[in-house]
Amino acid sequence: MFRVAIEMLLHDKTKYLGLLIGVAFTAFLVSFAMSYFAGFMTRGFALVSENPSAKVWVMDSAVSSAEATINMSNSSLGIVKGVKGVEYASPLYLGDMTARYANGHFQSFQAIGVDDATLSGAPKPANLLRIPNSVIIDSGGTDGKLQTPIHKKDMWAYNGSHLNAVTRELRYGDEMLINSKRVVVAGVSHTIPRFPPRPLLYTSTSNFKRLIPGEKRYITFIMVRPAKNITPEKLAKRISKETGLKAITSAAFKKETVMWYLINSEDVGDMVNMVVLAMLVGFGVTGVMLYMFTYENIKQYAVLKAMGASIKQLTDMIYTQVFIMAVVGSGIGVGISALFGEAISSASFPFRIMWFAPFIGFLGVFIVSLTAAFISLRPIKTMEPGIVFKL
Amino acid sequence: MSKIIASCKNIVKTFNAGEAEVKALQGITLDVYENELLMLVGPSGCGKTTFVSVLSGLLHFESGSCKLLQKDIATMDDVTLTAFRGENIGFVFQAFNLLPSLSAIDNVALPLTIKGVQRAEALTRAQEMLNAVGLNAKEHIKPSGLSGGEQQRVAIARALVHNPKFIICDEPTSSLDHKSGQIVMELLTKIIQEKGASMIVVTHDNRIYKYANRIVHMEDGKITKVAL
Repeated sequence: MFRVAIEMLLHDKTKYLGLLIGVAFTAFLVSFAMSYFAGFMTRGFALVSENPSAKVWVMDSAVSSAEATINMSNSSLGIVKGVKGVEYASPLYLGDMTARYANGHFQSFQAIGVDDATLSGAPKPANLLRIPNSVIIDSGGTDGKLQTPIHKKDMWAYNGSHLNAVTRELRYGDEMLINSKRVVVAGVSHTIPRFPPRPLLYTSTSNFKRLIPGEKRYITFIMVRPAKNITPEKLAKRISKETGLKAITSAAFKKETVMWYLINSEDVGDMVNMVVLAMLVGFGVTGVMLYMFTYENIKQYAVLKAMGASIKQLTDMIYTQVFIMAVVGSGIGVGISALFGEAISSASFPFRIMWFAPFIGFLGVFIVSLTAAFISLRPIKTMEPGIVFKL
Repeated sequence: MSKIIASCKNIVKTFNAGEAEVKALQGITLDVYENELLMLVGPSGCGKTTFVSVLSGLLHFESGSCKLLQKDIATMDDVTLTAFRGENIGFVFQAFNLLPSLSAIDNVALPLTIKGVQRAEALTRAQEMLNAVGLNAKEHIKPSGLSGGEQQRVAIARALVHNPKFIICDEPTSSLDHKSGQIVMELLTKIIQEKGASMIVVTHDNRIYKYANRIVHMEDGKITKVAL
């Protein structure tokens, strides 16, 4: 009977193609939206990702994301270094700085101060930060925000700002003012873009403190590498227990950050709502199409039932048809999503296919298809096979 | 007297059409004998199709009793009844009711496929039936590529391929021209004789009355006349 079911499914090419497109579109929509969301979230914990050697992150006990932070006491670094099993610990200083460009425009940056000695946490070539007053800047996923005038006459002009001056991208040797202090662009990096997008400014601890003076507490995170004889999980627990600070593995920190966005970010909430809405619409369309397909064939099922086909045989036929539709359709949809994603990710869109995106695409389509099949079975189960004489 | 194959006594069937009640069968009593070709005739709406639906277990009835091949179909559950129907009854419908997605041979093999007969054997038997109805050259053609007469011959082959003891034909010639109708009836008569089955033919077509052993006239849900 499986063969009969497949022949029935493939018989009307137009209907089959329509159904296939519907299922494929739903799978595409779901996996694409999930990948897009994953892409945004990946940018949300970019700070953690770009420091892969830090297996444990230490922070104030109230911090639960890489996005919203509060600093710890400056003595916490020494305390963490004293915990057994810590191979090295390196501080990371986060702050907001507003820089004045040479033409008078200003721009906010997320400033990231790294350890003077190791420069751990700075993008390569980190050694550039050893130049006095130097910074490494990064677009952080923004576009056209790192600009300085092309012409000398528009730079630091004695007659005020030249806001309409023709500009170019900032580069090595350009100067900015932060808190009325001169800084020199030593390099332009291209690290993982941020969510929400914002320009980044990396500098050494000493320069960081020079640019933001007067803070009592500077250390935002301490990045820790465990010794060889201890796992990051165990070390994190030990640090928490002995210091009273929050210490978690980098993987756990990424998860917490994603959860923080889901709970606290209205933008992410809107995004999730849109994704859910798109999924519901796609699922609804697929479900209705599958139901209609089965319902339109009810005459044929009635004939089969009159000829002795059991309800189980008819049920198996419908599930066979739906299973084939779901496998082929979602395969095409997820495949297109991957190709499309590959194309746009090279254009710096936040797109990241993680294992759960195609999985949820497949799973969603399967659940909807099976539900549609289950619902469409009802008229088949309840039909009087006597209707064959009226057909 | 031949053996009784089907026996119905005082069958009553009522349909509810909105608030109105339609008494489709009002105490039908009828026996069908072995090797008999019985024709059920009468005006539209007199209950002919309802009666064969009841007789074949496709429709439930309110009162009376109905035995087919010594089995009381009223007491069978749906699963048993479906299996019984698949084993013992063949259907020929007015509109042929072939599956448009299947070739002629696959359509003929359907009752065997439903019973779980191996595909190779099912196709061999279907091929034999197609030969018997003169369609051996069109086995791979789908219904849309066949004429009305050819489709009905495929339907007849399908109704007979599993050697049922009882065959029900609902207006088998009404969609066909006179010549095709004659061919179909001659074919049915011949195969019935060869296979030793019994058959009820519901019809309006008085041109085929000559093939009947008995003609039962119905009107308003009742049998009004039985002609030999």
